[in-house]
Amino acid sequence: MLELIAQLSLNTLALAAAYALVALGFVLVINAVGAVNFAHGDLVVAGGFVAVLFGLQFDLPGIALVPLILLVTAALGIGLSLIAYFPLRRGPPVGIYVSTIAVGVMLQNALLNVFGPAPRRGPPLIDSPPLHLGGIALSTQALATIVAAGALVFGLHLLLERTQIGRQLRATAQDPLMAQSVGIDTRLTIALSFALATALAGAAGLLLAPLHFVTPHDGAALILKAYVATVIGGWGRLQGALMGALIVAAFEIVGATILSQPVAEALLYLVLLGTLWLKPEGLFGEASGRRA
Amino acid sequence: MTCLRPLSILFLVLLPSFAVAETRLPVLVPITGFLALEGASQRNGALLALKHANAGVTAEVLDTGATPEGAVTAFERAMSGGRPPAVVAPILGTQMLALLPLAEREKVPLITISGTAKITELDNKFVFRFFPGDEVVKLAQARYTVEKLGRKKPALLYQTTAYGQSGRQHLAEQFARLGAPLVFEEALAPTVKDVLPALIKAQAAGADVLILHLHAPSTALAISQARAQGIALPIVAGSAMHQPATADLLSPRDLSGVCAETAASPISGGSAEMAKFTQDYRKEFSSEPDAFAVAQYDGTTMLLAALKAGAKDAVQLRDYLARNPHQGLAMRYRSDGKGNMAHDAVIVCFDGKSRVPAIVERYAGTQ
Repeated sequence: MLELIAQLSLNTLALAAAYALVALGFVLVINAVGAVNFAHGDLVVAGGFVAVLFGLQFDLPGIALVPLILLVTAALGIGLSLIAYFPLRRGPPVGIYVSTIAVGVMLQNALLNVFGPAPRRGPPLIDSPPLHLGGIALSTQALATIVAAGALVFGLHLLLERTQIGRQLRATAQDPLMAQSVGIDTRLTIALSFALATALAGAAGLLLAPLHFVTPHDGAALILKAYVATVIGGWGRLQGALMGALIVAAFEIVGATILSQPVAEALLYLVLLGTLWLKPEGLFGEASGRRA
Repeated sequence: MTCLRPLSILFLVLLPSFAVAETRLPVLVPITGFLALEGASQRNGALLALKHANAGVTAEVLDTGATPEGAVTAFERAMSGGRPPAVVAPILGTQMLALLPLAEREKVPLITISGTAKITELDNKFVFRFFPGDEVVKLAQARYTVEKLGRKKPALLYQTTAYGQSGRQHLAEQFARLGAPLVFEEALAPTVKDVLPALIKAQAAGADVLILHLHAPSTALAISQARAQGIALPIVAGSAMHQPATADLLSPRDLSGVCAETAASPISGGSAEMAKFTQDYRKEFSSEPDAFAVAQYDGTTMLLAALKAGAKDAVQLRDYLARNPHQGLAMRYRSDGKGNMAHDAVIVCFDGKSRVPAIVERYAGTQ
């Protein structure tokens, strides 16, 4: 029983850690531009494929590829902002929704053409067999995922809370006009928000690719998870994204273990509906209707 | 008038070959979506058969995606260009079920490799399946587990799709009949990426073997996650596991103790003809062939043999397929009266040192 609880806890935390990166990136763009980036799931997938490519090219463990993945996917984010946001920023938000959907579809088809339809496995974060502690088998991949995601979340926290760039990002998110009036280059901070968001998405792709594999069509399911996590946690709240990711992962692992996968999935959506009925602002506040 | 007679005779002589030269064969397969891997194998098998035969039949490849609507749209599009002699129909069972009434309406034979048992149980005279159905391969999977591995407590993970439901029913029946009823079973949607909860429950139920009846990505996920978790139970998987592309997702260490049912395993060798097929396939598509590719190759070859034998329309072609045997690369095919053409299965196992499985057991059918 102890073994079961330990395994479930570890795997839930590992999955939550990867989902947290997805959800944090999702929320960063919502805060920066007040619109949903529907290409976000496809950017996670792109990160997974970049990891596959670098893994083949450099023959390095996944953990060593994190800086490279962050750089490449951050560049993708800047590209996304230039194509799908800036040309449409003065129009209604629906234009941005549609443009990000379009970019997502293009990205998906590009990946399909380059890599083909077969699933690919990303390089393992560290290549070692499970650790055995007192009869409990602990997946080293799961442990490495928690450590890597934890370091990235902590790094994001430091960037946002302790640096001038972070303050400018938060100021732009809270009130872009006021930020502009005090001399902040909001175009730069918005582009930087996109870069940060997609870098986190790319890192999530790297973490998920060794155990979950990656196919060009995975993006839709991932953005749905990010959406659910954000609505439950609180629309536009970073802490909410973390809590939401943990809840989604708990349903997927603990719920599916106690009940079954289809029942656990149904219950998760019941919780989502319950949140919308009873606490629409989510667990950590902010009205969901304001920016959705 | 007399000078016209030789011309008319010449015209009549040339007519059949002209007709063959113009023959179009729609290849409706899922090239995108969760069954894209199998769909690509199916397409490649059909294309290679047409290339080898060089009989003037040209393929028209249409992507069916992963939905019944996608298959119906592709079928309607194929019919809009004039009625073809037959259609290579998708491997996905739900798509086949949607296409069956359309094939009957248009009187066009469907040449498929779908494993879903139901498609040949609906008394449709226009469906021909060149991959052994669940009643054949699931029996082989259950018999090998119980009779050869000596395992009596199987835990089954199956897909929520029509393919999964069909296999689940046959496996449950066969294991019960063999005195080894399932100790645990759970359905997984193709979108599920975390198989661990089901694996943990299977272990907790006291299973001594894992039986998988999943599509390729889910099969690889289940094995990978079981091994990462230190679950060392033997695994007897469905035909998806014999695919080289599935094995590529796993390390040889992960594959230790893994077996799978299938109709054939081209990369495992067997005959000179199979070796040539494998070599040509690699050259043509830069990938490894699997049983689905061989089965579709054999099905398309039989179709071409029917055209060569003089079948002039879809009904004659259907009658040829229904009445004649055909020696293919994987096995000898013959209809059982319901459109089931393939009746043999093999079990392949990995040795933990490479990703190429060896054929360890053959189960011959009764047709």
